[in-house]
Amino acid sequence: MDDMVLVPGARFDQGTPEHVLDWLLTQPQTLPRIWFADETPRRPVTVAPYLIDRHPVTVAQFREFTRRTGYRTDAEERGFGLVYDVDGWVERPGVAWHSPGGPDTGSPDYDDHPVVHVSWRDATSYAAWAGKRLPSEPEWELAARGPEFRIWPWGDDWDPYRANTAELHAGRLDDLGAWQRWWRKECEGSGPVPRTTPVGFFSPHGDSAAGCADMAGNVYEWTATLSHLYDPSTRCDPTVNRVMGRYRVIRGGSWMNFRYQVRCSERMHGDPLGWSSFAHGFRCARTPVEDR
Amino acid sequence: MTVRIVVPSVWNPDHRTDFESVAGPLPELIRRFADEYPGMRRRLVDADGTPLGYVNVCVDDVMVPRHQRDHTVVPAGSTVTFIAPMAGG
Repeated sequence: MDDMVLVPGARFDQGTPEHVLDWLLTQPQTLPRIWFADETPRRPVTVAPYLIDRHPVTVAQFREFTRRTGYRTDAEERGFGLVYDVDGWVERPGVAWHSPGGPDTGSPDYDDHPVVHVSWRDATSYAAWAGKRLPSEPEWELAARGPEFRIWPWGDDWDPYRANTAELHAGRLDDLGAWQRWWRKECEGSGPVPRTTPVGFFSPHGDSAAGCADMAGNVYEWTATLSHLYDPSTRCDPTVNRVMGRYRVIRGGSWMNFRYQVRCSERMHGDPLGWSSFAHGFRCARTPVEDR
Repeated sequence: MTVRIVVPSVWNPDHRTDFESVAGPLPELIRRFADEYPGMRRRLVDADGTPLGYVNVCVDDVMVPRHQRDHTVVPAGSTVTFIAPMAGG
């Protein structure tokens, strides 16, 4: 699984066009425009050629890292990890990358799934050990959609069978209530364990313009980029505004999300000081040797 | 004696973000606010009323570390911002 894709350098407009935000407000979703405003305005960025992992880092790969280095994740050090149970997010003892729902929830079946319960420090430590780094936010977006805008990695038409989102498991979801009913039923069946899928499960139909898999859904992915507004004058949600300069950008959405949260230009921002959850993972990037 | 409370727009169906509460010890302020607005209760405290540790809290421009929240007193005129560990999306 250690294959990487060479992405040619490009100059492209990072972010979401205003007409896509207009479209979002016509869709059966309840989030306000200011919630998405940090994706705007589009701005030109130039990215040098780089290599990026075709897949998120897997449980087996992360296990090899810990076996060789003795590394302990932030969740292991704290003694608990964050899962979403029937009542919401909860810190559960014994939750970590090898036991994603708590004690006795680990399984070899997860080996080819993306690793979860990795904090920003955990992800950067793995990347350094592997001789790689986390992708920057522009690198992540370019690998997901190419230099021309597209909503999802495969194009502008939603297809629930090209990505691991909640809509793959539950069918079409148009509101939080429907999501909660689905998740309650899931939890009653097997508890709050991640609904990840093996990396590359949706290839080639779900692959991105650059040939990367799982860039929509499966796990949220950390990037190296410190959260910032594309334009400091943008009016966005006040709590999103407050994390600028503090959090790190997260991209791609996860198996927990609706279609609108797994768009290529969707932005999320994660607390980098030890926090992780059962839906958060990462992939790595590397600068080509000749350019180092 | 009032403080301004700011929450994510997605915590309320009408997307309201600004509220008022009373100055005082931070844990008390959080519990009181959760009681006043039961629709946001599960996002702020657990079943026992203990503030959720993973929800970050800014008092004015300062992010209060988790281990200092029990001993933090919020003065009148401050702005308290509740921030999820993953913001936006």
